[in-house]
Amino acid sequence: MEFLRLIEGSSFSQWVTGSSSVLAFPSILLLHTIGMGVVVGISAGVDLRILGLAPAMPLAPMERFFPLLWVGFWVNAVTGVILLAADATTKATNPDFYVKMAFITLAVINQQIMRNRVFRDPFIDKRPLTSEAKILALTSIIFWLGAITSGRLLAYVGPVSGLTK
Amino acid sequence: MNLAHIHLLLNHFPTIGFGMALGLFLVALVRNNEELKRTSLVIFFLISALAIPTYLSGNAALETLCSGPEGACPPGVSVANIRAHEDAALPGFLLMEITGFLAWLGLWQFRLISRTPRWNVSAVLLLSILSFALMARAANIGGEIRHPEIEAAPQANEHTEGNVQPLVRGIGAYVTGHTWVWPSCETLHFVGLSMLFSVLLLVDLRILGIAKRMSFAALYQLLPLGMIGFAMNLTTGMVFFIAAPEQYTKNPVFYWKILFVILGAVNVLYFMLLDEPWKVNAGDDAPLTAKLVAGSALFVWVGVLFFGHMLPFLGNAF
Repeated sequence: MEFLRLIEGSSFSQWVTGSSSVLAFPSILLLHTIGMGVVVGISAGVDLRILGLAPAMPLAPMERFFPLLWVGFWVNAVTGVILLAADATTKATNPDFYVKMAFITLAVINQQIMRNRVFRDPFIDKRPLTSEAKILALTSIIFWLGAITSGRLLAYVGPVSGLTK
Repeated sequence: MNLAHIHLLLNHFPTIGFGMALGLFLVALVRNNEELKRTSLVIFFLISALAIPTYLSGNAALETLCSGPEGACPPGVSVANIRAHEDAALPGFLLMEITGFLAWLGLWQFRLISRTPRWNVSAVLLLSILSFALMARAANIGGEIRHPEIEAAPQANEHTEGNVQPLVRGIGAYVTGHTWVWPSCETLHFVGLSMLFSVLLLVDLRILGIAKRMSFAALYQLLPLGMIGFAMNLTTGMVFFIAAPEQYTKNPVFYWKILFVILGAVNVLYFMLLDEPWKVNAGDDAPLTAKLVAGSALFVWVGVLFFGHMLPFLGNAF
């Protein structure tokens, strides 16, 4: 707890939360939201394609979007760490925060398995998708929905939250 | 010029626009003219987009009109009439948005089967008649708010004070009175955002040059996913607005957000109406105009996200 207070009290954290500049907290949070749209957007597109939406769309070229997905992911990792540091005593003591981290970890592992098992398959787009691919797509959607939900609820649940009514 | 003027300017568009589109649609059906059917569907879709600021500016008009202490209205203006107008407008608005969505879906499917699908014609016809009737009723009640000369007999006014609680205010009170509603809608708003972004990134970035091995026709199948995401966000957004209208009506950042939503609605029509993107086959570089449209789509929807996000920071919400 002492450590968390130290982080939160650092001049950088103080700037993030205390500055009236739009470049501080609002812009960092904005990048975090856009990053989410990029990561979950691309991921959901691939998952829904595997599950049968837009069957005319070839799956293999979708791998070209993965680098952008990782750009979004790292933007969110960096902005996420900043947002955590700025509000360390609240966020790091909120169980919901760890639920979110768990969902993101699962989603990232899921994404890597999918790349190796589905996109590295030399017969991709040449034979029907395996049920393993479909299960991976479904779990990916569940993990990202979990991450969005727990992330959004961070503003409302926990020891210190906006949910006061 | 204030938002009350905007409401007075916009409020004729939904009724008259839907009336015109309906007339055109009927002519198209009688003559079985596909091009005319498509034109009517485009008008239905665009008018349903314009209905969004029409509805929203109504709350601003109320706040401008009844700006006395504790929201007191000037003499001759009945709060009960305003609430009755609001209660009549919401169902009309809701049906109008569903009609707009279905009209869009008809335009989308037209590209795949080269004619307006039959189910779509019946659904749009039925819903547009219903929404036109409901909107005309809302407009009629709205006209009584400050036009005593056209109110036939004041004593026969059915919208008397002290009736049951107004519907829309009741919904608002429910949202603010139950702590789970707002966070749940926020979560769904973010899920809808991700669905919209999914289509936006895959379709528009392909046109801009990523993953050229995909043809435009293949990606086109994805578009309804984005529209469903938008529908989710319009619904949850309306929940926020009805619960706390003043956070938005007094927030210029919100006006920009809605303006950008309408630009987005115009933007998406390019993919349905023009033949140009359809010539983009696997491996092709898209023409410059397609790239400009794709780039502006990214700009517009990131803009919507930006303004939505900045509501509490640049504006005065929350």
